[in-house]
Amino acid sequence: MALGAIPGAWLRLKAVNHLQPMVPRKHWGTFVVNGIACFSLGLLMALLEGCGAATGVALLIGVGFLGSLSTFSTFVVDVLNELRAGEALLALVLLLASVFTGLVAAAAGYALGAHG
Amino acid sequence: MADHRSALRFELQELLLVALGAVPGALLRWQLSLHLTDQNLLANVLGAACLGFLGGLPAAPRRQLLVGVGFCGSLTTFSSWMLDAVRLLASGDVASAAGLIGLTLGLGLGAAALGLQMGRRIRLPGPPRSEP
Repeated sequence: MALGAIPGAWLRLKAVNHLQPMVPRKHWGTFVVNGIACFSLGLLMALLEGCGAATGVALLIGVGFLGSLSTFSTFVVDVLNELRAGEALLALVLLLASVFTGLVAAAAGYALGAHG
Repeated sequence: MADHRSALRFELQELLLVALGAVPGALLRWQLSLHLTDQNLLANVLGAACLGFLGGLPAAPRRQLLVGVGFCGSLTTFSSWMLDAVRLLASGDVASAAGLIGLTLGLGLGAAALGLQMGRRIRLPGPPRSEP
């Protein structure tokens, strides 16, 4: 579990820093990382359920790596900062886009793992 | 050569700080999820409050890496939250899914705002400033 958390958190930092020059604002980097983690977690959980319970793998990759790769706190604080800066529309777009993308990505990953 | 070394040392220091924060954060999230069936609600709200609090304090890059990126980032999770919502939706329980999303967002935003206010009121002991 802890073994998965370290690369997860480190990769998140590196990915967000790497994406920063490519996106208009830093929080879209977190958005991309969260979307990828949602897709991967859906895929992983569907695959694990398909081949019987492998709780060790679920803990290491699912809870440890992907759980630490994705983050809720940065997302919420980003939304709050946009709100405080008077950018209510941008905050709403970030919030809705993140939740919608997360749901679709997790569902797509899960569907792929269950039927693919 | 010297440039490479200092760059490597910087990378290692960054990795160490993030890892030192990430391990307790992820372990706490895991333990909370074992003892509570709240779909990571408490972990996410606590992490949001903590990161908000950190944002209210004067900027400090190392503290940000250790507590912000490492601890708060790993304590909170986006992917498990979304997968739980998808599972509720797939089972036809739209109301519970909407409740989980709305409650986590509402409490998370509130907690982050509260944390920020508290962080701004705290004065950390710093190096003595010379009075003009």
